[in-house]
Amino acid sequence: MKDSCSSISDLLEKYFDQEVTDEEGSLVDGHLHDCPSCQDALKTMEGLRYLIKAPIDEADQKENYYWVWQKIEKEIQREEKPAVRESIRRWLDITPLFRKKVWVPAAAAIVAVFLALAPSVFKKTPSSSEASVVEYLESQSYNVMVYESEKGNVTVIWLLEEPEKEGSSES
Amino acid sequence: MEHNEAELISRCQQGDQEALKQIYDLYHRKVYRVAYGVLRQREESFDIVQEVFIKLFRSIKNFKGESRFSTYLYRMAINTAIDHIRKMGKPHISSLDAEEGFQPAEEPEKRPDRIFLYKELEGKVNEALNKLPVDQRTAVLLREVEGLSYEEIAETMKSSIGTVMSRLHYGRKRMQELLKDYLREEPRK
Repeated sequence: MKDSCSSISDLLEKYFDQEVTDEEGSLVDGHLHDCPSCQDALKTMEGLRYLIKAPIDEADQKENYYWVWQKIEKEIQREEKPAVRESIRRWLDITPLFRKKVWVPAAAAIVAVFLALAPSVFKKTPSSSEASVVEYLESQSYNVMVYESEKGNVTVIWLLEEPEKEGSSES
Repeated sequence: MEHNEAELISRCQQGDQEALKQIYDLYHRKVYRVAYGVLRQREESFDIVQEVFIKLFRSIKNFKGESRFSTYLYRMAINTAIDHIRKMGKPHISSLDAEEGFQPAEEPEKRPDRIFLYKELEGKVNEALNKLPVDQRTAVLLREVEGLSYEEIAETMKSSIGTVMSRLHYGRKRMQELLKDYLREEPRK
């Protein structure tokens, strides 16, 4: 090793990594031209790079990566589904009513009120039939009441004037 | 950052899976190479690629563009690979008996004796890499495998350029000592 090697050694690694300025590069080039020791140092660095890099280049070139993407895509889609459920849950959580957990007693109260009111709401009330007709006829000897039901059946009530002879008949 | 890349990142931040696919197409090899550099195991490196892109999809909203996207992704890949080693709880050294690993494809290297020599050599390289502190190993891999500049390595490792140069220097020096028998004989490309 020459005396000038010590001044170059700091630059040699930067030179190898192509990180020197033009001026520094020229300086190293000039030194390497007639320094076998620094030439060897440079070759050793090249050899080391080759040893580290070659197996990786080889492995990279042989690989088929398509199936890796398929696995990534599948995994992402699998994660997306729970995310939808989670967003619904979060939406429910932001509603104060649900967040305070009061919905159970509230629902129970609504059901109780409904059950209490249901009989009166749904109770069947008799309705007067528009088809039912009552007619009342008066004469000197008899008073007659005629009732005609909605189904067409006719009920006739005879009313006698004399109390002792009062009677009725239906047909 | 290129305009197209910025647009892809923006779309991905909004949950666009097609944009993620395009980012994957651009970067998956880089992630695999870094993972393989750290782990030296094929299947596990694929697992890291998978994990990194799933993590990326989940966390890309946090990417503010303050650093290069590539260095952001490299950092994620390295951290994921190192976490993987920690979870395994032991140093990752490829066995000579392992089926996977570096097997040269071209003749005459396919000859069994050459394959054995390459495997032995790769085992020694892995052993040497594993003897380096993680920071030195990472700097060496990013420089020697991916060819990142000092500035990019510094950005990836969140350190100064001076620190990167120091890590590279000591890492290389240590590896040269550990592999001195092989470095003399290694044919140049």
